[in-house]
Amino acid sequence: MNKTLIQKNTRYLLVWLPLVMLLGSMIFYLLMSAHAHHMAEEQLGLKQKNIRNALAANPEMLNTHITGEYDLVKGGPVRGDLLHKQRDTMIYYPTDKTWVRFRILTEQFVINDQTYQLTTYISSKEIAHLIIKVFIAEIFVFILLLVAIVVINQKSSGLLWKPFYATLKKVREYDIVKDQSLQLAQQTGIAEFDQLNQVITRLIGNVTLAYSNQKQFVENASHEIQTPLAIIRSKLDLLINNTDLTEETAGLLADITEANDRLSQMNKNLLLLTKIDNNQFPDQSDIDLSSAVEKLLNWYQDYYEETPPGIERSIQAHVRVKANVSLIDILINNLISNAFIHNVPHGYVHVRLNSRELIIENTGHPIEGRTDQLFERFKKGREQSKTTGLGLSLVRRICQIYQYRLTYSYSDNIHRVTVLFEQG
Amino acid sequence: MKLLIIEDERSLLASIVQYFNQEKFLCETAESFEEGIRKIEDFQYDCIILDINLPGGSGLQLLKYLRQDKSRDGVIIISARDSLDDKIAGLDIGADDYLTKPFHLPELHARVKALVRRKYAEGANILEVGMLKADLASRTILSGNQPVPLSKIEYDLLLFLMTNKNRVVSRQAIAEHIHDGPSDQFPSFDFVYSHIKNVKKKLKEKGCYEIIHTVYGLGYKLAL
Repeated sequence: MNKTLIQKNTRYLLVWLPLVMLLGSMIFYLLMSAHAHHMAEEQLGLKQKNIRNALAANPEMLNTHITGEYDLVKGGPVRGDLLHKQRDTMIYYPTDKTWVRFRILTEQFVINDQTYQLTTYISSKEIAHLIIKVFIAEIFVFILLLVAIVVINQKSSGLLWKPFYATLKKVREYDIVKDQSLQLAQQTGIAEFDQLNQVITRLIGNVTLAYSNQKQFVENASHEIQTPLAIIRSKLDLLINNTDLTEETAGLLADITEANDRLSQMNKNLLLLTKIDNNQFPDQSDIDLSSAVEKLLNWYQDYYEETPPGIERSIQAHVRVKANVSLIDILINNLISNAFIHNVPHGYVHVRLNSRELIIENTGHPIEGRTDQLFERFKKGREQSKTTGLGLSLVRRICQIYQYRLTYSYSDNIHRVTVLFEQG
Repeated sequence: MKLLIIEDERSLLASIVQYFNQEKFLCETAESFEEGIRKIEDFQYDCIILDINLPGGSGLQLLKYLRQDKSRDGVIIISARDSLDDKIAGLDIGADDYLTKPFHLPELHARVKALVRRKYAEGANILEVGMLKADLASRTILSGNQPVPLSKIEYDLLLFLMTNKNRVVSRQAIAEHIHDGPSDQFPSFDFVYSHIKNVKKKLKEKGCYEIIHTVYGLGYKLAL
């Protein structure tokens, strides 16, 4: 699953910051140990010097041994390997009953022709304790730092990316079909986002322009096509009255008439689609859907004088919708005429209507190809070359406008189209 | 009957004129806004067929001008625009009827005839063709003196053929005429055939034989 920017950022921080801090702690520890070592050395050296000075000033007054401080031995065996080297040793304190670790240094020197061996002691315990305490303090500081960095980063990221999310939301809600303008913030306070907004505004401006040009083109083209179509149709009406019509020319004329009518119809539907896209059906009124559907079905009953598909109706009375009359007429007309066109001999059409949904079922052959493209422009059934291929895309467009949910299903040779009026 | 046709598309204009001349109408034509205004001012017409998109101005303006003059000439708008708003606008200004391009000439003819009858033949709304007599007020058709029991669609169909008597009317024109819904998708034109068959049968029962003829695959003709 994809993470949000801030989540991702936090995750990187949480992975890398502790690693860096661990490494930092290790270096810190090594440095501190080294410094402590050095300090012990200095202190041992200093003690040697102090005692030697004291000895030189007053040889008789000096104690030869103080536990944990020094040992002074006159003459004594000289073990060269022990001289000038720091060593560790343990001393038992009977009063405390504990062993204490010491660091010691032994030097040999001559004062007034007397050879002395002096061993000085420094307790390692305090230093070790100090190192541990400093280290613990450091861990606390590091954890505090880690939390602070993550929290600050999250907060600041939220603020930083705010213009971005605002833009994202607006772009997501933008629908080119709805013909709305996209208002993005010009001054976000962040150069990149200003740029992004500019680029998006320009891009959408161009796309909208291209889209409206396209719509304009289709509308103009359709309008222009109407006139030649009208001319052809009028000439055909005259031509079929020609007295020396032979059966052959009559056949040709019949074909031309049919093709011309289909072209007219296609053009009309195309024009209608553009008009809907151009939001040229804004008027809404309260429509009695039940009586409109009943009237239409009655018409179909008359229409098929002989061998009609059976018409079954389950229509709840006075179902009302608020919409444009023309669009609702087109919607139910195209759906119902479709149920008749794509039927089989001795089939049936079943129309159900209640306040929630309109369901139109009809017998028919299965659709070849993808059913999800059923409502696309110019998707046609196999044997229905006489249709325009625009009827269902008009239906889909109208459903989009009124936010009706349009679904199609097929099972057991029954096509079912459902229009759900209310959402949820 | 005097007719003024204002249409800038010359070819379409010629078709309309030819059709109406054959129906014994006297046709005047105008191809622009100004020409239309001039002809309206000079003469009275029984019916004016008016295109909306004209060079020099809109047909709607022309209609406004006509109605200001208190002229009662019947007006039928023919327009490529077919939205409800356009129709309502046209009818509001004072058009009597509105026909969307492309239309069938028999349809235009039927509309003109109906308009002229509505406007001028007060009371006597009777159309006689041979032995058939249509009473438009009561929507009945008599064969001889016997009423023919017709359904609404059959009545519309027969009246349409009677109006366009002695002419071949295409199946498409009939289909569009008798269908009053907005759907233009017809499963097939077979229904025209079956309605014609019924009408013929019913006429035959009332003693009217062989008046409707089938013209190849093209259409039908009510001939005397």
